[in-house]
Amino acid sequence: MAIYGDEALIAMTPELKTHLVERFALDEPLWQQLGAYFLALFQGELGYSYYYNASVLSVILGRLPWTLLLVGTSLVLSTVLGIVLGIESGWRRGSKTDRTMLAGLMSLNGFPDFFLGMLLLIAFGVTWGIFPLAGALTPYSGLSGLALLLDVLRHLFLPVAALTLAHLASGYLLTRNTMITVLKEPYMLTAKAKGLSQRVLKYRHAGRNSMLPVVTQTGIWIGRVVTGALFVELVFAYPGVGYLTYEALLARDYPIIQGVFLMVAISVLVANFLIDLSYPKLDPRVSYAY
Amino acid sequence: MHIDLKKEIKESGPGKTGLIILLLMIAVALLAPILAPYDPYQQSIASLLPPSWQHWLGMNHVGQDIWSQLLYGARTSLLVGFGVGILSTLLGTIFGVSAALIGGLYEKVVMRIVDAFIVIPMVIIIILVAAYIRPSILTLILLLSLLSWQGGARIMRAQALSLKERGHVAAARSFGANHFYIAWRHIVPDLGPILLVDFIYSVRRAVFMEAGLAFLGITDPTVVSWGMMMRDALSFSYLNVWQWWLVPTGVALSLTIVGLTFIGHAAEPVIEPRLRGVEIA
Repeated sequence: MAIYGDEALIAMTPELKTHLVERFALDEPLWQQLGAYFLALFQGELGYSYYYNASVLSVILGRLPWTLLLVGTSLVLSTVLGIVLGIESGWRRGSKTDRTMLAGLMSLNGFPDFFLGMLLLIAFGVTWGIFPLAGALTPYSGLSGLALLLDVLRHLFLPVAALTLAHLASGYLLTRNTMITVLKEPYMLTAKAKGLSQRVLKYRHAGRNSMLPVVTQTGIWIGRVVTGALFVELVFAYPGVGYLTYEALLARDYPIIQGVFLMVAISVLVANFLIDLSYPKLDPRVSYAY
Repeated sequence: MHIDLKKEIKESGPGKTGLIILLLMIAVALLAPILAPYDPYQQSIASLLPPSWQHWLGMNHVGQDIWSQLLYGARTSLLVGFGVGILSTLLGTIFGVSAALIGGLYEKVVMRIVDAFIVIPMVIIIILVAAYIRPSILTLILLLSLLSWQGGARIMRAQALSLKERGHVAAARSFGANHFYIAWRHIVPDLGPILLVDFIYSVRRAVFMEAGLAFLGITDPTVVSWGMMMRDALSFSYLNVWQWWLVPTGVALSLTIVGLTFIGHAAEPVIEPRLRGVEIA
């Protein structure tokens, strides 16, 4: 009964139970159970969730788009903003602007994402009522087309803001740090001596070379896309995979948790592969290593 | 390693601020029984009271004094933070230095384990294990330490690799010193500042994770913790109690993490000396 747990069996119908026992060889030794799990996996079956009364795959796939939308949007926003702010701040290193930005963003870095989420929720949702409090859609509204899109965006705004603010600082700090070391390189002096404009110096010469660590970090974050928004999804009751994990955890719905773990493993591997592919594009020296 | 960490932190504005915040929090944690006007666990029928002269931050849903809870919450946060900081720095040093000195298959195995842990999302593993075993403070410290020494080990190994090529280590080796003696007498003392930076970041991560887990409701429910207070406060967000319940708690937590971030950032030139002399002003 390995992954289902004893509490689960109470909630099951006898037919479902016999089916599951048979399908996953639950009355066989452990290694045969593993074999049965892999066999089922290759047939595209991840198991059956007794809490949601649906197949694990359909439950997870139903939640995945929301998480991808939420994490994807905030990842793009926080990375781009972080890089631009990092370049600007590093360029003006030591100046008053730089010091203010550094102190401000480092302070922001200390705010846990769920606290930022709660503050935004209370300010914009509860007090001023500008944005909806929970969920990803207005239930039973029967909206379609543009109205539906606007509804989705309205629900998306606060969670995305919370995640973006929470992750802005790490990209900024990395870019700024690298920027400072890059600006000391001799080729920067050469570029300046050639009479290049400040914009070109700042973005094409120094900025581009400061992006490598941020790309690595963003890649690691892509690997965490599935669970990265767990806290924020919880605060806003946003129906993503993170929230699903939490619900499944409380309900002891192990097949779901196992399925989520598989998704995590896949996304980590895919993300690392993508980072490796992008390195030579950003820094041609890297390709010599192969 | 000719960088004076104390000087580095003192000369940086944020570093000083961070140090002051952290010392303040430590003082609050240590003096909580004296400073707290009430027993933070004492329940009463006076639930959800607004702030008054008797109860500075009002009462929570089961009639506990929020100000006293806030003070005691610092104890939980810092205990977990420093516990994990010490343990994971220790583990990181042991594995990092031993991998560098012993080398061979052992080094490969250790470093691949480290790589694996670094890419796995730590949050989900901790949540799963924590939900299963419902950790007490002690088990939580052990659990977080086991899952957070890997980053430090990588830096420690890199440093130890360069240190072990130095003349004095070769000299010690020629006198017949074993790995343990070399590590203890010649490598670890030179790792000093790096150990401190690793320690600070471990503390930061642990304070963060403890609050997060308590916010999810999967830590010891009998111990007051900031994460738990925020969780309780959020469920009453339709009332105005968040003003004196949620916000001060969240600010206390954030302030602690900000303090640690500031110190860590000021000490960072220890790991990356090229950053020196930038924000010192």
